[in-house]
Amino acid sequence: MQNVATDENWKTSFSQLAPGLVLFARQWARSAADAEDIVQEAFVRFWKKQHDVSNRGLLYATVRSIALDFLRRDSRRAKRESAAMSDVDQGVEPAFEIEDDSQRALVAALDLLPVEQREVLTLKIWNELTFAEIASALGISQNTAASRYRYALAALKKNLPAS
Amino acid sequence: MNDFSELENQLRKLRPVQPSSDLVNRVECALTEETSSPTAGVLPRERKFHFNWLSLGLGVAAAAALLMFAFLRFQQPIKKTSTIASASPGPAISTNNQLVPSGLTQVVYHTRDEGLQFPGNSSQPMRRVRSHTRETLQWRNPKTGASLRISYPRDEVSLTPISGQ
Repeated sequence: MQNVATDENWKTSFSQLAPGLVLFARQWARSAADAEDIVQEAFVRFWKKQHDVSNRGLLYATVRSIALDFLRRDSRRAKRESAAMSDVDQGVEPAFEIEDDSQRALVAALDLLPVEQREVLTLKIWNELTFAEIASALGISQNTAASRYRYALAALKKNLPAS
Repeated sequence: MNDFSELENQLRKLRPVQPSSDLVNRVECALTEETSSPTAGVLPRERKFHFNWLSLGLGVAAAAALLMFAFLRFQQPIKKTSTIASASPGPAISTNNQLVPSGLTQVVYHTRDEGLQFPGNSSQPMRRVRSHTRETLQWRNPKTGASLRISYPRDEVSLTPISGQ
């Protein structure tokens, strides 16, 4: 039987994907530490089964599933879940490295997006998934994924202050 | 023409915060642990806490439901004074000794959440829960007071699909 822990391929794959995975998990996690716990659990379970990251849709679906499960495990989080789905991560810890005011405004506009649009945007922009992979990860059609992406961009443009 | 291209470029310039430096080490440790113990959890403390309450609740609910079921089920045979002979033919249980069913209990004394699984080639993760149960069947002869009890363990595994939403 293959020893998944000694297979060095996972380190390369994980190092490349980790920032995007943590960002994706941050949508449901209150803190970066929680998001990292989610990513850790998801990646371990995924890698044990798959041994490579070619099926990225499944990897992100696993992160999403464990993130939602993580929320439900804590009763306080569970009470907030419905609110969190529409108003997630107003947290103190920033999810991005902000360099100037325009980026700060952009992040603020991102926070206003509905979670279903933001998760598509996160997968597309910062994880570079195709719409097919996004559809697989979220359990939606490719058309829906593409529509949500366009709606997200339109909403962002509308919410950004005119420069 | 995509009129969002400028916005997309702005978004791509935003860099996600880098994960902590020990995340890779934690994943490596977890992979090692998971290799040696396939059911080990990555978040053991929280899982254990909920696991205890879940076990207790499931156990009590299952026992109560089965006791009610047994009570209802065995009421009728008692009225008809049917014997156990047909179900358990043995020399000690003759037709003169009218043993009647008097109880059935099923106690779930241990459940264990074995985490998410991907059965077969399924892309749908499923939660695997193992339950250890002890069932006890009882018969009693109302005339002589003799009773017969059979108890045996059961091990049951259930897979529950995990919904994304």
